[in-house]
Formats: sequence, structure tokens, C-alpha cells
Amino acid sequence: MKILRSALTALAALGAFAGSAQAADLVIYTSQPNEDAQATVDGFKAANPGIDVEWVRDGTTKIMAKLMAEIEAGKPAADVLLIADTVTLERLKQDKRLMAYVSPEAKAYEASLFDAEGYYYSTKLITTGIMYNTQASMKPTSWKDLAKPEAKGLVTMPSPLTSGAALIHAQTLSGNPALGWDYYRALKENGATASGGNGAVLKSVASGEKAYGVVVDYMPIREKAKGAPIEFVFPTEGVSAVTEPVAILAGTQHADAAKKFVDYVLSEKGQEGFLKLGYIPARNGMPVPEGFPGRQSIKLMPFSAAEALKNSEQDLKTFSDIFGGKG
Amino acid sequence: MNSASPKVARPRHAPDPGSSQPRWLFPFVFAILLLLSILPLGRLAVTGLLSLASGGGDGLLGDPALWTALWHTLTTSFLGMLVSVAIGGSFALLLTLFDIRLKTAIGFLFMLPMMIPPQVTALAWLGLTGPSSTLLKALGLAPPLGSPQPLYSIGGIALLLGVQNAPLVYLALRAGLLALPRDGVEAARLSGASALQVLRDIILPLALPGFAAGAAMAFVSNVGNFGIPAILGIPASIYTLPTLIYAKFASFGPSTFADISLLSGLIALLSLAGLTVEERLLRGRDYRIIGLSGRSAVFQLMGWRVFSEALLWLVLFLILLLPFAALVSSSLAPAYGVPLTLQTATLYAYEEVLLRQSITRTAFSNSIGLSLATAFGLLLVTVVMAYAVSRSGPRLAALINALADIPYALPGIVLAVACILLFAAPLPLLGVSIYGTIWIILFAYCSSFLAVSLRPLVSAFRQLDPSLEEAARLAGAGFGRRMRDILAPLIAPAAGAAVILVFLIACNELTVSALLWSAGTQTLGVVIYNLDDSGSFNLASALSVLVVLMVLVMMVLLELMASRLPKGVVPWRS
Repeated sequence: MKILRSALTALAALGAFAGSAQAADLVIYTSQPNEDAQATVDGFKAANPGIDVEWVRDGTTKIMAKLMAEIEAGKPAADVLLIADTVTLERLKQDKRLMAYVSPEAKAYEASLFDAEGYYYSTKLITTGIMYNTQASMKPTSWKDLAKPEAKGLVTMPSPLTSGAALIHAQTLSGNPALGWDYYRALKENGATASGGNGAVLKSVASGEKAYGVVVDYMPIREKAKGAPIEFVFPTEGVSAVTEPVAILAGTQHADAAKKFVDYVLSEKGQEGFLKLGYIPARNGMPVPEGFPGRQSIKLMPFSAAEALKNSEQDLKTFSDIFGGKG
Repeated sequence: MNSASPKVARPRHAPDPGSSQPRWLFPFVFAILLLLSILPLGRLAVTGLLSLASGGGDGLLGDPALWTALWHTLTTSFLGMLVSVAIGGSFALLLTLFDIRLKTAIGFLFMLPMMIPPQVTALAWLGLTGPSSTLLKALGLAPPLGSPQPLYSIGGIALLLGVQNAPLVYLALRAGLLALPRDGVEAARLSGASALQVLRDIILPLALPGFAAGAAMAFVSNVGNFGIPAILGIPASIYTLPTLIYAKFASFGPSTFADISLLSGLIALLSLAGLTVEERLLRGRDYRIIGLSGRSAVFQLMGWRVFSEALLWLVLFLILLLPFAALVSSSLAPAYGVPLTLQTATLYAYEEVLLRQSITRTAFSNSIGLSLATAFGLLLVTVVMAYAVSRSGPRLAALINALADIPYALPGIVLAVACILLFAAPLPLLGVSIYGTIWIILFAYCSSFLAVSLRPLVSAFRQLDPSLEEAARLAGAGFGRRMRDILAPLIAPAAGAAVILVFLIACNELTVSALLWSAGTQTLGVVIYNLDDSGSFNLASALSVLVVLMVLVMMVLLELMASRLPKGVVPWRS
């Protein structure tokens, strides 16, 4: 028995060693790329020393799936969400999964950029436009250019089944009478592919597997600054946008730290952090990052979050009926 | 083992002073097997059958995605197996039967692909081919804009699966070849048979079961592989059963638990079919014991030697050095699509991964902590289990071995699903849930790698002369005393090898943790996959390079221990 007991004690001790990486003061689920997530967390920790932060990054839909599975198992790990779109958060709010918090920073924001009751706040403006490889023969200026013969087999885009921004983009474009779902059918006819997230699109256009990609603005603009052979254009019809909102989950054990995080990302300092990473800040009176046209000259296509939430399921189905695959 | 009491005969444990086995031995062994093997797999079977019975299968079986994934799984696994047989078979034949120089070095290098995590292999090859290749760009050989990445295809997946698992065929065939009856070959040569005739009429027929068993092992390994089809298949919407499970889990819905239990049941069936074939093939191989088996080369290659050696090194260059060079060049590139030159090369990715990303530290400490806990935790139970196996009759030994083997033989994704089902609800009595904590990963690792730890110890115990222990027993030494003073020192090298092997395999693991990770419990495999997924190809490459270096160090350690270990413990030696 003694051997058995010492064996179990040793096993438990080793397990405890392995398990020592647990129990942070704040857990953030985000869809920002790893480097940005780390920079955001570093900025927050510098402003709020002593708070130990754990973060998890994945595509918006995957993060949500993880969260739902954890809720199902009775053990949600996240305290704060910082993910692509307000539609997802609106759904969580309606399911009573979010905690309301009125941040003092909210007064510096347009009323359309946050939930009036304080359930979620937009943190930045991420538009979706067109990127192309500088070796490409055609320089696209309009969404419709991607359906032209010059772009045959050379277009790729993220799948709404993986990316929150991509879903809102598809809903925005399909809701535009000049484009609609017929535009997507034309893209499919032209050999366009849709799979994975924005990172995959960036990779495949920058590396030259494809010539044109539908992608969120900051990725190509940032990579171009590092020397990648790519350009980003805001098409003439306008762009779709997501606002990467932040929200606190209902039932969090770390409400105080979570509130501090919300205040930080909305504060001038937090917004400067996003600006440095190459995002357009959501806060009033902030400049745009290098490489962007002025904020006034970026034309946003109309979009209704409430409508989008209602139609999400149908739109996903329409999209996958056209493009097939599962993201 | 570390029983502090010097007293040997304590009535509570050993009524007959020095009785050969303590009473708790077999109950303990079966409690471990119940916990790590029967419980999770039984839970999976029950959920699967219940959901089939309640019609849960109808929706899934009517889903064309399932049948496409099944077809992709079968084609990639089968084609991959052919590649493995071609590469692994040639290496085994040339290295075992012919007078090739530097055999140990070649064998060691050839085993590397199997030890490298599959998603790292996939990333390395992606960096090697297609218009995205930093390496080809640096050489000015990159294909033109719009060229498809050839690896994003059934053929690409099959090729990499083949390279990854070629060592399995090599090992199986080599074991068979080394045990060939040498006098039969000599008799044939003396009667005037040419080398070719001997090879064709004696050696190859005798080696066939080893060949086929290796092929079956490669097939089973291919069926369960996640890293390669995840990185090469998902961007091209080519789903295999494991990646389909991942996709189902990544779009969690009301029917997810039922669906993934059925899907993993299907993978388990495919694997079991492959394992049955392998077992059948290996059953009738007792003939190999007849006669002397020889280690020395049977045939002289003469003028062909330099050519054959060049060929072997060329293949190693193609499947090992070139992809690794591509991986390194991707990790040094400043941004996508920028040609790598001395001016553009940057260590930024390493700085970011090592110094700024907290996730890297989390992943290293999780992977290393989990691997150490699994390796040493398993050692504690497998020493006792291996002793029980070596001291019990053939039937009982076979049962224990089989129960330990099944979780290891089944694909990791099946085990991960079994663990999710077992632990999604809070534990009975305790009321706490280990889902979403590091404990569920530790449990899955212990279950999955039990066999890896058990095997070297069983072979070490079997090699021991029982008279040693017998003598100690007659002198009145109890089980603990015998274990500590007689057995432990003798099996220590095998125990060391078991620890290193489990550590090596657990450190590189992706499939199990891909479904089980949560905040703060990311493993190295998960982080590499996630970095690539978020578009940070250079960071993923840099971390992969570091992991490959770690694997190399562990393999060298094992190689240095090799001479003190029982035969067959170090996989690349025989």
C-alpha cells in the first residue's frame, strides 16, 4: 500500500506542477491576431500593474464555439470578450450572457458605436476591402472588378463560417441592391475561393498563390509597410466594417478587473495602442494610422446589426450553398 | 519503490514472508486500466450507441460531408501508405541487407520525420513549394503569380502522410529482416544462388509479413493524423474525418456531442480494421527464430554502393534538410512575399515568439510540464504493471497489454472526444469539472501514452533473470525491498528510455490538445497551429524551428543511452 500511496502522491505532485499555469486574474477571449492580442494585454498590464491576464486567440466563430462548449460543460473560462462584431455580441446580450457596465470613457464615443445599456462597446473600425499582389495585371477599384475575366481563378476571401468580419461583409454586400447574392454567384463562377480566416487570405495573396483577396484593412496595410508586395484599396462602392467590440461576460468572477479592461481599451491610451498596431480607433478625435486615407474619405456601406442578427443563419446557409465547404 | 521501511516482512502486506507478489498488485493494475482505458472508451461507445439508437445518426449519415470526409480519409491514408512503403521499404532493405556506410547516422536521420510534429512537417513543406516559398523566392525559382500551392490537395496530404510515417514501415521491415535465418541464406549462396535469386526467393518472401504489417501501421497512423490534413486540407476545403470532427467542434451546436461521438466511432472502426490486419500478419512469424540471425550485411553492393549511398542521402536531403531549410527561411522572412536576402533577413519572429508572446511561455511550460507529469506519472504505474505482466501467465499478460495498447493505437482525436464526453459533466461525488482545465489534457495523455511507457519496461523485466529476484525472495525480501534493491537498478535504463519517449511524444502532441485546450492550457502544438491560422506564418515557423531543435536534443540523449537499453527500446536502433 505504501508504494501505491507514494506513487499517487508523486503523481499528484507532478500534476500540480503541470497545473500551476492556472487561475489568472482575468481571462480574455479575442479574435485579434496573436501579436496584437499580446500588445493589447501588455498595454493593459502596464496601465494596471498587478493584474495577471490570460488570453486566448482564435477566429470569432471558433472562440464562440469554445465558449458555448464551456458554458454547456458548466465551466466558462472567459471574463471578457474582444471579438470581431457587434452582431455576435447582440446575440449574447439577448441570451443574457453579458454583464452591463457603463464605462466613464463612453462619452468620447458616437452613440452608434456602443450599446446604450453598456453591454458592449466598439473599440475600433476594421473595414473590409480588396488587397492585390503588386505583380497582378489588373488594379481593382470596384468590387465588381473581382468578377471580371482578368481575375478568373485568382480571387480568394475569408469564409463567414470562420470569420465574424467575413459574415458581416457578406451580409453588407448581399444587402446592397447593386451587388446582392448574384454578385457572390458571379464570384463563384469566376473561380473565387472562400475558406479560412483573414490571415489565410493575406498569406495567399502576399505569397502569390492568388492575385486578389477580400480582406480586413489593417493586415495588408501593415504587411505592406514591412515590405510585402501588396496593395490595399477601398473599392468605389464603399466598404463594410466591423468594430471589434469589447464586453464582459455575465457571471464573471473577476468583474473589477474586467471593468478596468473595458475602461482601458476605450481610454485614450488604449486607443493609441490600437492606432500604433495599425487600426482605425473608434474614439472621437483620434487620427488614422499611417497608410490610411482620412476617416471622412472612407465610404461605409449601410448595415443594420438587428437585421443581420435576424438573417444570420439564412445568410450563412446561402453563402455555403454558393461556395460549399465548411469554412 | 521509495518505501521508507527497511523491514521486509510485514504481515499486513505479505503473510508469507517474501511471497512473490503483493496482494494489491493485480487489483492495482486493473484499476489503472479501468481508469485510463475502459472508462473513456466505454463512455464513447455508450454515447455513440445511444445517439445511434435515438436516431441521432440519421442526420449525420445523410450529410454528404461525412461521406466525402470518409472518402478523403481512405484515399489519403491509402496513398500515404504507398508512399511510406516505397520510402521506408527501400531504406530498410538497403540499410539492413547491404554494406552501406554510416548506417546508424542514416537510420537516426531517417527516424526524424516521425518524431517531428506533423503540423511542423506541413508548415515546412509549405515553405518549400508553391509561389509562397520563401526559399524558392530567395533562389529566384518561385513559380509565377496565381500558381496553385500543389500541397493543398489529396496528393499533397498523402505525400506528407507518407513521409511522416515512412519510419513505421522501416521499423517493422527492419525488425523482420534482422531476424532472418542466416543459415538459409548461406546455404543458398553455397549452392550457387546469385544475390538476386537469394533476395527474390528467400529474403523477400520471408520479409513480406513485416512489410505488410508496417504498411498496416502506416495506414492506421494516417487515418488518425490531424496536423497534416488540418494545415493542408482545410484551406482547400478537403476534410478528413479528424478535421471534420474539429470543424464540427469549432461550430458548436446542440447536436455536436452526439455527432462527434459517432464520427470518432467511425474513425475507431477504421483503425481497428487496420490493426486487425496488422495483428493477423504478425501472428505467424515465429519462423524467424529458427537458425542464427545475423546483424552483418548479407550482400556486397560493389560498384553500386556509392550510387545507393548517394540515393539515400539525396532522399534524406529532400525529405529532411530541404523542408527544414524552408522552415528556417520562412522564420527569417520579414513579411509575406518578401524575397529573403542577407539584407531582409530578420530575427524579429524569434524575438516576438521568445520575448514578447506570453503564449509561448505558457505553451512551453504547459507542454513540458504536461510531458514530465505524464512521463513520470506513467512510470510510477507502468513499473508495477510491467512487473505484473512479466510475472503473470501469457493470457493475462496479453489482456493487460491489449487494454494498455488500445488507447494508444486509436487516433488521438478519438481519445480526445472520449475524454470530452467523460468529463464534460462535473465529476460524480466531487462535483467539480475538469473540462477546460489542464487536468483533462493530463488524463488524456496518460491514457494515450500508457503503452509507450509500458513497452520498454515489459521488455526489460522479461530480460531479467528471475533467479535474482527468487534469491532475494528466499532471503526474505518483500516486494518493496526487491523492487528497490534488485529490480529497479536493473530496469533503470529502460525506465529512462520510457520517460524520454513519452516526453518526446507528448511534447509534440497536437491532436488531443486541439480539442481539449482552453485559456491558459495551450500546448506547443496548439500554439503553432493557431499562429499559422492567424496569419503569423513567420512566428509559427520560428516556434517550429525551436521545437525541432528540442526534439533533436531529446533524440540525441536517447541515442547516447542506447547501448545500455534492451533491444528495441530506441526506435531507430534494432
